[in-house]
Amino acid sequence: MKKTYKIGIYDDEETFISSIKSLQQKEFKIYDVFTPYPVHEVFHLLKLKSRLPTAAYFFGLFAIIAVLAFLYYTSVINWPIVYGGKPFNSFPSFIVVTIVITIFTVTIASLATFSARSKLIPGRDNTIFDHRATDDKFVIVVNTDTLGDSGSDQIEALMKEQGAVEVLDKEFENVIA
Amino acid sequence: MYNKKIRGPLVEGNKTLSQISKEILSPMETVPGLWWYITFGISSIAAIFGFYAIFITVSRGIGTWGVNNSVGWGWEIVNFVWWIGIGHAGTAFSIFLLILRQRWRTSINRAAEAMTVIAVMMAALFPALHMGRVWLAFYIFPYPNTRGPLWVNFNSPLFWDFIAITAYLLISFSFWYLGMLPDFATIRDRTKSKIKKAIFGFFGMGWTGSGRHWIRFESLSFILGGIAAVLVVSVHSIVSTDFAVGIEPGWHTTLFPPYFVVGAIFSGFAMVMTLMVIVRKIYKLTDYITDNHMDAIARILVFISLIMGTAYSTEVFIAWYSGNEYEMFTFFRNRITGDFTFQFWGMIFCNALIPQLFWFRKVRRSWIGLLAVSLLINLGMWFERFNIVVTSLSKDFLPSNWVSYNPTYIEIGVYLGTLGLFTAGILLFFRYIPIMAVSEVKSVINIGRKSDD
Repeated sequence: MKKTYKIGIYDDEETFISSIKSLQQKEFKIYDVFTPYPVHEVFHLLKLKSRLPTAAYFFGLFAIIAVLAFLYYTSVINWPIVYGGKPFNSFPSFIVVTIVITIFTVTIASLATFSARSKLIPGRDNTIFDHRATDDKFVIVVNTDTLGDSGSDQIEALMKEQGAVEVLDKEFENVIA
Repeated sequence: MYNKKIRGPLVEGNKTLSQISKEILSPMETVPGLWWYITFGISSIAAIFGFYAIFITVSRGIGTWGVNNSVGWGWEIVNFVWWIGIGHAGTAFSIFLLILRQRWRTSINRAAEAMTVIAVMMAALFPALHMGRVWLAFYIFPYPNTRGPLWVNFNSPLFWDFIAITAYLLISFSFWYLGMLPDFATIRDRTKSKIKKAIFGFFGMGWTGSGRHWIRFESLSFILGGIAAVLVVSVHSIVSTDFAVGIEPGWHTTLFPPYFVVGAIFSGFAMVMTLMVIVRKIYKLTDYITDNHMDAIARILVFISLIMGTAYSTEVFIAWYSGNEYEMFTFFRNRITGDFTFQFWGMIFCNALIPQLFWFRKVRRSWIGLLAVSLLINLGMWFERFNIVVTSLSKDFLPSNWVSYNPTYIEIGVYLGTLGLFTAGILLFFRYIPIMAVSEVKSVINIGRKSDD
């Protein structure tokens, strides 16, 4: 099924932010916004949150336990060797390996989580609503399927009023995002 | 707080956003000048010589090197530590400054990270060759094997070194690549060439600049930055333990980990400066890498140089204060005076004295001054590693062990080869990857520009 979108395009951050605010005041649901660089106010306005730090914490916890368990198994249970008269479980010298492998695991696992959650995978063709958003324009996208003509017109008026340089109507067969 | 009156705008010239994309991406869209082909040609010749030297090393063994029973570590370890040191700064630069929220990093971090990735690859070559039978290098992976299973020695700094460098290389690369995603998308959306669109579309992974992408992107940058900062400090500490756990006079000291880390950041920042002077000169990107940026790097360098000076004097002082005659001999008879005076005083001169020129504003603002000092620092750091590795080994406890050490042309060839590969890699980076993080530069254009901040 085709979906219709109202796309507001802005030249600068200020008009873009005030437009989001006014759309939200009238209780229109914003589908997504696209910016050339991270705009922190948008995260607050759209109530976007990232739980990546929590995930990273658990990756780290898992890695620490796994690495220490592996070191203990190899050095104490599986094939114990005395190095320089030190105990088999020479914990202080295990710390270095544990730190490095933990950092490595957290990095790779967080990257994988990021890639999966954001659906950013090599060769993926996510829908681009307006290709200028990665260059110099700020873009607000509102899904107008359920709003009817009057709602649609109201959004266009609001966007223009707040300083949109262009307001476009676009239809997409299936949106990949 | 950012004081505009003192520090000026981060990006000069009242740029618009699209102007930034255009100007930073222009080196990728134009055919490079003759200088590029000439430099690439010279570095390729050096690289070919390097491959020849590596071929001889691998096919005949490390007997082709000048190392012997006493000086078992020669140029290879000197160069390994030197490259790792240079490779340190890229990540130190972008990560420490990211965590400290120093926004002036934005126009420099991409090049610094590129330098890191290439330099660490060069560094990793040396220990691999030093194994002698490089085709058995996989023995160092701790995997269940048919030899017992006999595990590697998890208490050995040499093994720590291996995992630290491998992890560092992969993490630096990931961090570098993550930062490039938005820029690849910018190229994909701006270009008219179908091939470029396909290539950058593939590597851009479908980045759209959506709010959801950005919040996760920023969050991930801070996670990676935060934990990789620990790694930056630990990698060179681990390299230093390769020496510090040995009982050779001049090695067996607890000063080594901080001394190595600071030294690494010192040489790396110097290399960043060398690169930035060249980028500014050739690509005329002075609006992005302003005089203030160079000034800031120079100030960091003069500060680190003072730490280096302190470390050198501490070493000498402790050698005397400990009353250990072998330490005394190494420092006073084999470094300050004796066969290796040139290398020792070269190190003091290049690392502790010359950078003091950066106290003068005139030197910090002249590109010749910056280039000359940064190159001398890198030379000085090479001398430092030579001092540590060769002087200690050449005259240890037993005079019957004393030998001199000279590199053969094969060893020099491997080093020249890595220099060539590094230069070629940097040139390819200039040509095919955005030199600066376009999206990050865009996010700081307003800093120091408007009257109200």
